[in-house]
Amino acid sequence: MSGPVTGRSLGLLVCLECRATVRAAAEPHSRCPRCRAALHARKPYSLLITTLLIIAAAILYIPANLLPVMDSRTLIDDEYDTIMSGVLVLLHSGAWPIALLVFFASIVVPLLKILALAVLVYSAWVRSPVRRAQRSELFRMVEFIGRWSMLDIYAISLLATLVQVQSFALVIVGWGAWAFGAVVVLTLLAARTFDERLLWDDPE
Amino acid sequence: MSPVILCPSCDLVHRGTKAPEQGRTQCARCRAPLQRAGGAALDTAIALAACALVLLFLSNAYPLVEMHVNGSTRETTLIGAALGLHAQNFDTLAALVLLTTVIAPLLQITALLYLLLPLRRHRHARGEQTVFRLLTRVRQWSFTEVFLLGVLAALVRLSTYTYIVTGISLWSCVLLMLCLSALAGITSPEQIWRWIERSRT
Repeated sequence: MSGPVTGRSLGLLVCLECRATVRAAAEPHSRCPRCRAALHARKPYSLLITTLLIIAAAILYIPANLLPVMDSRTLIDDEYDTIMSGVLVLLHSGAWPIALLVFFASIVVPLLKILALAVLVYSAWVRSPVRRAQRSELFRMVEFIGRWSMLDIYAISLLATLVQVQSFALVIVGWGAWAFGAVVVLTLLAARTFDERLLWDDPE
Repeated sequence: MSPVILCPSCDLVHRGTKAPEQGRTQCARCRAPLQRAGGAALDTAIALAACALVLLFLSNAYPLVEMHVNGSTRETTLIGAALGLHAQNFDTLAALVLLTTVIAPLLQITALLYLLLPLRRHRHARGEQTVFRLLTRVRQWSFTEVFLLGVLAALVRLSTYTYIVTGISLWSCVLLMLCLSALAGITSPEQIWRWIERSRT
């Protein structure tokens, strides 16, 4: 059978930590001779773990968007903000570039990440041979943009730290922020446990 | 070492490839970045890391932003953002913010210095392999550039209500971000091992 020559077909492995090329050993728990990292032909249980992490993230995505992420109390009013209403506040203050950025980083990116990873896991599971290059590209994009979702967590933590003027203005963190942080961490971990090479493996 | 390189993203075998003079090479099949430019000077990496360490210290020693309300002033440093969450009993979130803005950058910088400094004298750090693996792990959780945009978003929200003064720490944070991204560019895992293996001979 003539196909592209892969490391697997030659009995070679790449160490994902230090990028050394290593001859695959017979025993299951081999370590990289250069950096001592654990070696695997493919990340173990990659699809299973990624799936579980995506499901957890998808469930938490709901409270993350419905529960208030913070409660701003001033002398005259008491305002509960969800992520979306936070974006609207930014929009009304005229800072539309920042509003757009927060909307994209906090609402679009987590949702796209969950959907994209679900599609990728499914296609790897059924070993789909179509559009491999595009799916590979999609995965790298998911990997790259994932960290930007932390933006709102940082903004909330700063507001909660600064706005603590007793009886004048207070910002209290809400459980929505906790759920949102969990979504971000779970999707980051899901992207890390997913083994891209499964997108390219041919059916045996 | 064998001249064979495997693409970490699609497992394709590449033969006889050399690190490019500049820029990066791509995998012929999946277009993932394959090799980064080699040849950065060891001293450049050490200088950048030392610089980043000083900037990280400054970012925590001086206020990031000050808020003036009713004649009273509130201010926070880089580490203060995480402590504010802790004060409201959101300890998991506080730990996440602390990890991604203070601990990960700190570990990243000190691990690099620990690995690279002895190489100048053709020596090797104790536990080199363990520290290297710690470095590659911890680097993935260092989010300084995202934090800065978060600061910007918070400032925009506050500026409609109160008077805001940006502290010098904000600028040291910006420089820290630039330092860390330059450092990430020249200290790829392959490059670190190139330095280590070169100092062995």
